Amino acid sequence: MENKSPLSPHIQIYRWHISSLVSISHRVTGIINIIAITLICIWASLLFFGEVNYVMINFVLNSFLGKFIALGLTWSFSFQILSEIRHLIMDMGYGFELQTTRITGLVVIFGSILLTIVIYLLGKNLI
Amino acid sequence: MNLATKKWIFLKISSIVLLPLMLWFIVNFIAIYDSSYLEVVEFFTNSKSKFLFSLFIIFAYFFSALSISEVFEDYIEDDKIKYVANRVLFISAITIPLLTIIFLFNLN
Repeated sequence: MENKSPLSPHIQIYRWHISSLVSISHRVTGIINIIAITLICIWASLLFFGEVNYVMINFVLNSFLGKFIALGLTWSFSFQILSEIRHLIMDMGYGFELQTTRITGLVVIFGSILLTIVIYLLGKNLI
Repeated sequence: MNLATKKWIFLKISSIVLLPLMLWFIVNFIAIYDSSYLEVVEFFTNSKSKFLFSLFIIFAYFFSALSISEVFEDYIEDDKIKYVANRVLFISAITIPLLTIIFLFNLN
């Protein structure tokens, strides 16, 4: 017998809210992060095969594109960290009021930009 | 306790463990991503970095596999496609971190 389990309605039928933007971005950054972690695993594994195999990757990572990717990944991680904290707080039963979801959504969006700057400066030993 | 509840609990536990590991990793990634081969090797051969990075990728893949399987549940109607997608996902979530950890622990 064919299984007719219900699927999620398409996102286009909903009116846009801060919460939906944060929720969709949470899924998108989650996918970006796991693709990036896979590439980082390949990068780390290539170290085993010696410096010759590392030259090309090092060239890309030192270019403008490399710096853009690193900064973009920092934002993606920052967003995921803050959004996951928001999810955990909601799992404990807090922050479901409409106004609160708007505020926490905005905190995640703007906080992720701020956290990106802090992480970048920390990583580069500038603070 | 049904399977969906167990999955939810594992998802939440892994996300709590993953949060500090993500923060640790991204700060260190920014510190080393444009460094020389020897500096990056030095980072990955350090016992603390090796241990934390291994833990990070294990939990990242575990968390992602559980999360993405939820997305499959929401958006894939065909049971056969969903089954294959989940198998591919879980096999990748085991083999990619395992191979990376083997390479890292053999790095000198």
